[in-house]
Amino acid sequence: MKQTTKLLSSLFVAVLFAGSAFAESRTWTDSKGRQVTASFIGLDGENIILQTADGATHKFPLTNLSAEDQALAKTMKPSGQPVMLANATVAQAAQSVDRLVAAGLVRANPERVKGGKKPITGFNPMANDEQFVRRVYLDIVGRIPNHAETTQFLQDSNPNKRAKLIDMLIDSPGYNSHTFNYFAEMLRVKDRLEQDNLRGVPYINWMQDQIAKNRPWNEMVYDMLTASGKMWHNGAAGYLLRDAGMPLDNLANTLAVFLGTDVACAQCHDHPFSDWTQHQFYEMASFFGATTTNMRVAQARKKGKESPGMMNAMNDLMPKIEELVTKSGMDIKRIRNGIQNYMGANRAIVGDMDKNSLKLPHDYKYPDAKPGDMVEPKFIMWSKSDKSLPAYKQKVKEPTELRTAFAKWTTEPSNPRFAMAIANRMWKRAFGQGISEPVTNIDDPKQSANPELLVHLAEEMKRVKFDIKSFMRIIYNTRAYQSEATSEKIAMGEPYYFQGPLLRRMTAEQAWDSYMTLVLGDPDKYTKPLEDLYSRSIDLDLSNPKLDAQTVLVKYDAYRKMAEKERALMGGGLADAGEDMMMEGSKKAKGKADTAPAAGMMENASRSYNGMVLRRAAELEQPAPNGHFLIDFGQSPRSLIDGSIKTGSVPQVLMMMNGKAQEMLTSPDSLIFRTMEKVKSPPEKVETLFLSVLSRRPTLSEKDIAKRALSGGDDGYANMIWALINTREFIFIQ
Amino acid sequence: MKTELNRLNEISRRELMLRTAKTALGVSLLPAGSPLLRAAEAASKSGPGTPGFGKAKHVIYLWMGGGMTHIDTWDPKDGPTKGPTDPIKANAGSGNMDRLGGTMEKMAKVANKFSIIRSMSSKTGVHESGTYIMKTGYEPRGTIVHPAMGAWASHFLGRIKGVTLPDSVVVNSGSSYPGNGFFPTTMSPIPIASPEAGLQNIRPSAGVSDSQFQKRLSLTDEFDTSFRKKFQSEEVKSYSEFYDETIKLMKSEDLKAFDLSQEPAAVREKFGRSNFGQGALLARRLVQSGVRFVEVQFGGWDMHNTIDTALGNTAATMDSVFATLIEDLVSNGLFESTMIVMGSEFGRTPDINENDGRDHYPLAYSTVLAGGGVKGGFVYGSTDKEGRRVADKQVTPQDFLATIGHGMGLPVDEVVMSPSNRPFTVGDKGVPVIDIFA
Repeated sequence: MKQTTKLLSSLFVAVLFAGSAFAESRTWTDSKGRQVTASFIGLDGENIILQTADGATHKFPLTNLSAEDQALAKTMKPSGQPVMLANATVAQAAQSVDRLVAAGLVRANPERVKGGKKPITGFNPMANDEQFVRRVYLDIVGRIPNHAETTQFLQDSNPNKRAKLIDMLIDSPGYNSHTFNYFAEMLRVKDRLEQDNLRGVPYINWMQDQIAKNRPWNEMVYDMLTASGKMWHNGAAGYLLRDAGMPLDNLANTLAVFLGTDVACAQCHDHPFSDWTQHQFYEMASFFGATTTNMRVAQARKKGKESPGMMNAMNDLMPKIEELVTKSGMDIKRIRNGIQNYMGANRAIVGDMDKNSLKLPHDYKYPDAKPGDMVEPKFIMWSKSDKSLPAYKQKVKEPTELRTAFAKWTTEPSNPRFAMAIANRMWKRAFGQGISEPVTNIDDPKQSANPELLVHLAEEMKRVKFDIKSFMRIIYNTRAYQSEATSEKIAMGEPYYFQGPLLRRMTAEQAWDSYMTLVLGDPDKYTKPLEDLYSRSIDLDLSNPKLDAQTVLVKYDAYRKMAEKERALMGGGLADAGEDMMMEGSKKAKGKADTAPAAGMMENASRSYNGMVLRRAAELEQPAPNGHFLIDFGQSPRSLIDGSIKTGSVPQVLMMMNGKAQEMLTSPDSLIFRTMEKVKSPPEKVETLFLSVLSRRPTLSEKDIAKRALSGGDDGYANMIWALINTREFIFIQ
Repeated sequence: MKTELNRLNEISRRELMLRTAKTALGVSLLPAGSPLLRAAEAASKSGPGTPGFGKAKHVIYLWMGGGMTHIDTWDPKDGPTKGPTDPIKANAGSGNMDRLGGTMEKMAKVANKFSIIRSMSSKTGVHESGTYIMKTGYEPRGTIVHPAMGAWASHFLGRIKGVTLPDSVVVNSGSSYPGNGFFPTTMSPIPIASPEAGLQNIRPSAGVSDSQFQKRLSLTDEFDTSFRKKFQSEEVKSYSEFYDETIKLMKSEDLKAFDLSQEPAAVREKFGRSNFGQGALLARRLVQSGVRFVEVQFGGWDMHNTIDTALGNTAATMDSVFATLIEDLVSNGLFESTMIVMGSEFGRTPDINENDGRDHYPLAYSTVLAGGGVKGGFVYGSTDKEGRRVADKQVTPQDFLATIGHGMGLPVDEVVMSPSNRPFTVGDKGVPVIDIFA
């Protein structure tokens, strides 16, 4: 390949597009006379690679082209865009990425100098092993390495140890946990859905299972967009049920998250900045115009059984249920809501009707259509040539096929934004900033910090067939990623060129999971109960004409019991967490802090401390209840896309200094103390503490400081743990 | 940050703004709602000496999360869009407030103490952006976070007590977002997740003496020196500021304000034992100690399904807590200096949907204001017969925020540059509703 390139470029000097990945385009004609406008990227064996205006590259046999164009292609100079062979090694792939990052750094210099900054001469210096081991654990498995893991890596003399560690971490359970946190935040995954009668548990379990199987991203998204039925029969249905009753919001989020396209404004009016019109938004919404999240009601309405007769079995059965309950001597007021919610949850069914009922809103004000008009489904395009892409060749015969067509268009590799959006996001995960920001709106890839890199990463995402693990493996193996964190100030909105990762504050989940590492050593051993009691007990077939009040009550009773059992197994981490904490608070004030942990830590398979369940964030309620460490630290409430908060707050700092989690770490029963007991001399103990908390050895002056601190009395080690946890160095990832 | 304009005396400044707009650019040629015209209008209406300006030394913002149905609460209708309850008469005294939604039983009795804006209208029917706009006046952007009202007040009026008491507090939320926006993190409200629990972890752990705590703090500083020297980013610095502030707060006398157990049991019962009731009581305690801006959140308004059952508890709680808060502020002599406002991200559809609920509806909805110089028994603006459109005197979220800003005595027309050098004003050039002030 390399040889061919060299040979070709010496044959013909085409200077038209030197230096830019966005080469000049021309019209190509194939042997059947069809035409496409695209620029020439290069030849790969018997294949030609062309790039369309949207940045997507297309590879096909050269012989498909007209004889004239075949001849021309053989004389053209390939563009600077690297072309990866399907079976390129990770090292080769990482090198290609590095070359593009390096080129971007050089290109950025004139602008930097204008802004009064020093030119960048290359990547930041290579991060040392101590920095690397901490960063790569936090980035891949979402927690700091424990003492043994750190020392093992530092002592390893294998020159390939970094690549080895990356491989090991990517295939460990911690990867699943951390990756779930990312997607749960992005997709606003919740246990308690806005409709208070439905829970997201089956959707959460589905997503965790998909991640554990490393299901390709395009397949996961396809499943979420096309799933039908109740959530506990098909967890992927949770994606649409998450936003039941808000189909337009759901669509805006779908476009923002999966396609990096922000059209939320066009929901109500023409987009003020981009070209999206309100009409286009409704054309997209039309693909969901036959979809309902309330299938039974929709069907019944169609048959002419208007409410209230239909409003469902609920209305028919409720009076009888109330009668039964009252007869048994119970207070119906106390359980009426519960029964209604239980039955109501069973109405949440995703399905597709045979009629598209999407209309323009009543306040539609543009001249191209009238309020209330029906809207024909139509895919948005980012450039005029998009319509010739395979993604756009979707046939819809029946309204019931609309949603599937949308899902196919979205996840087709030739969709101009699908691969790019996820690639840009995954890049941001590693570097702290996307190549195009914000990641929910890649308006014009050419305006991004490094357009060639962005296009290349999108192509890489397709090459690895949307296998997120493979993609991340490439990124973590780049020289750019393995550089020291950038310490210069980057103002908000200022472009960043990736001379190394940015300094990032730990996410709430990384902070909590790191605490869990300090307490438990290997926190992945402690998982939530495997049995999904909710899915097992919630189902009720409301369409069964024989359903009677007695049956509903019996099943509801079983459901209630399961819910209680679940609460016990989850360690009371749900609604009652707040009260629990208050009780602990008063107990704490009276008793001695050091006797509680030993007993508390051994309660059940999941350990707990003073009412806190000691499990990783992904194994707790989604999101955690108010007042939890995770919430104080800024875990997303899961209402906004990527809604977590990375800044400090007074409650957060109070928690870091005086909270239960802190108390747990500094108690003599904690793992960190026990690890320290394994060595004898104070200097060794100090080194153990530094390696456990900061993943590095203390410096000479720090050893002196420690020595002085220890001379003050027995609490010296607890004081040191406290001090190290409360450093900025602990909560920032460098 | 003061511009030349602000140094002129207030009256001449306002005249100047209007004249400039009229003569230099020709007001008749400016489209209605043009930013310059609106800025001039805002300047002409607000400022020292105008009705209500600066009377609200404190604000309690009762936030109704989920989208509060306007027809079932503040803007009742008869006919096809009427909800599950019949409208009731409001005891509005000499004011023009006729009726309230049937669920507002206690508020109807104190109707002479508050005003309603029935002509709110916004553009977004999405929870997140609707909330953001109602709290900041701006649409959410990927490149900047805009400040909420508490932070605007801190910016213009200064910190109240420095660091021993926060200027603003958000109750019933784990986060204060959007909080301080682009202003310094020290202006960020303190979130109180549960009013019962108050400010958590305010004392050092049991068994840790003050001197030991000091020892720990200085150890942290010593161990962290080289890191802080290497990474002098804003993020790292603001963390250090939070530590400094928090340590001072831990020693503060004012902390009692956060402790509901200091209230008599009877008062606590009166507010009701819900988080919203106790949150409102906490807000009063905080205001009493000097906190300037308290937001109390209450959810459950997203009633897409079976609104008749959904409405019952939620509306009754809101009604009772709001009325109790008014009475409590009056009896504590705080009503004149404290403005209570109630807002929500949007209203709900006049038409009942297929699930017997109401959906999101930004085109027409209501907000409520009370105390702090606001008239009683007064209704501003109106919707049409079925509550579908604003019929008279449309008020945008921007105008609503400018009204609060005006009440607090903020210069709503003053342009403030963000660190990224973009211009912003309180309520994005909204025009205060002066009519609502006595």
